[in-house]
Amino acid sequence: MVEKKDFRRVDKYIWELPKETRPDMRVPARLFASAEMLDSAFRDRTVEQLINTATLPGILKYAMAMPDFHEGYGFPIGGVAAMDAKTGVISPGGVGYDINCGVRLMASHLEKEEVAPYLRDLTNALYRACPSGVGEPGRIRISPRELDELVVQGAKWALRRGQAREEDLAHTEEEGTLPGADPSKVSARARERGGDQIGSLGAGNHFLEIDVVEEIYDPEVARAFGLRENQVVVQIHCGSRGFGHQICDDYVKSLQTAIQKYGITIPDRELVCAPIDSPEGRAYYGAMACAVNYAFVNRQVLAMGVREAFRDVLQGKVRNFDLYQVYDVAHNIAKFEEHEIDGKRVRVCVHRKGATRAFGPGRPEVPTAYRDVGQPVLVPGSMGTESYVLVGTDRAMEISFGSTCHGAGRVMSRSQALKKIWGPDLKRELEEQGLVIRAGSTKGLAEEAPAAYKNVSQVVEVVHGAGLARKVARLRPLAVIKG
Amino acid sequence: MPSGFEEIPHTADVALRVWGNDLKELFANAARGLAWLMADPETVQPEKEIRVDLSAPDEETLLVTWLGELIYLNERDGVVFTEFDLEEVTPTHLRGTARGGRAGEFRRFVKAATFSGLTIRPTGHGLETTITFDV
Repeated sequence: MVEKKDFRRVDKYIWELPKETRPDMRVPARLFASAEMLDSAFRDRTVEQLINTATLPGILKYAMAMPDFHEGYGFPIGGVAAMDAKTGVISPGGVGYDINCGVRLMASHLEKEEVAPYLRDLTNALYRACPSGVGEPGRIRISPRELDELVVQGAKWALRRGQAREEDLAHTEEEGTLPGADPSKVSARARERGGDQIGSLGAGNHFLEIDVVEEIYDPEVARAFGLRENQVVVQIHCGSRGFGHQICDDYVKSLQTAIQKYGITIPDRELVCAPIDSPEGRAYYGAMACAVNYAFVNRQVLAMGVREAFRDVLQGKVRNFDLYQVYDVAHNIAKFEEHEIDGKRVRVCVHRKGATRAFGPGRPEVPTAYRDVGQPVLVPGSMGTESYVLVGTDRAMEISFGSTCHGAGRVMSRSQALKKIWGPDLKRELEEQGLVIRAGSTKGLAEEAPAAYKNVSQVVEVVHGAGLARKVARLRPLAVIKG
Repeated sequence: MPSGFEEIPHTADVALRVWGNDLKELFANAARGLAWLMADPETVQPEKEIRVDLSAPDEETLLVTWLGELIYLNERDGVVFTEFDLEEVTPTHLRGTARGGRAGEFRRFVKAATFSGLTIRPTGHGLETTITFDV
């Protein structure tokens, strides 16, 4: 049983378990946390899952968990692992079921006071324009042939269909199209589950939020991102819906035989994997990339719904009701990137599961408009609490393969939350704080209560202190829409 | 909570401990547990019946495949399956009937049944396992 004393403190916020901790570890494991936060890693299976991740073939440097870590399945949530692209493996358990779950931030030209009189109408219009909850079909219908085109072209497909603007694509990770998508590797069942869900939020922790920029920490970077104090912005948090869930499900099952074929031993069957350079590994990557592109289009189509709702409610009432895209980031993904390891450029497959890319200034992957300052990183808080906009750093490139946290991270199970929190009470409490809420179910609301999560500000302080990203702005919610 | 399964703590998702005298009972109880996570089974009128015939290389994969089938049908048709007549369950094959309907009180959407820590273990009374569901 690993204990806190087994961790070596590398610096104030980095804790390392040596490779010798368990005989099957190939690299050391690193947790990014404050001293107080580290204790929470021992309350669930975070540490065990991180050690398991460190056993995967081809893993480079460290298995890492960002400060919003908690128990997941396979990798811990907040998990980051870079595999050598030539000798390493790719694992669906290192990406998760909601492939390319992510966050999009759109900024308005409006001040909080200009929106305030219309906030309730706007929330209702968003609720109608952006379908949420279980079994709700999405905003657009597509044929099976169009689905094949959509998953290969990603956001470019949305642009062609009038569901995007050129500048939206420029401000999306991978410009909204992950190369290498192969629809022939996607099952009929995944197509069926995903066919009618394009442009829908789904349920669980997914949400749409109207926020106000409450504080700017870094005026220069905020200016580059088009953010200023008291400005109204919108966050969209969702992923690849049933399409991605089914692809993960299919490959976690089918790769169970691949590990035998390639003689790979894994400590947890959810960590099933295949060599990146194998027919099975390529098939998973091709299918996963389809789900990544599906999710980019999903958030893009919802973004158009958000613009439509703003127009419908605010046209003729405010000077400019338009919204521009600040950025869109994935937080469940595996992708090929080049990183410097021990002085050499190495091509790696970075798995980020509940973790966000946080590239520093100068990287070609960062949009031109932001290249001098670094990539925007979007860190939503729990419902009703603050969210953060951060910027990627050179330090993150050195210590975490350009990765950082993705949110607050849970501390309380859903059943505990349901026992302790009564949904209608919570709704009233949040409304008393001035928040407008539209939720499909009060139970769902209780499961996602702020008390079930770590304090996002503490998580962000660790991220900022460790240099995994730097604070740019803090957002405060005005209205929340949940499935 | 009905017998045959219980919810156990999991920080982010939901997990069930499931038990039964044999594979047949274990698989039926796991499916009942899934239904209980999704909805209040008392509010389900079992008006739809399906035949199920599934194969897998081992019993854990068969269990994930079986639960995955019910999750898929729930998403496709909105049906929560609450009654199960499993005629045959071997470590590699399952054959039987499931009955269910739309739920009056839907609890939560389940994305998938995972392999996380999944092992079917013999106990003094039969078999037991722990299943983590992504929600």
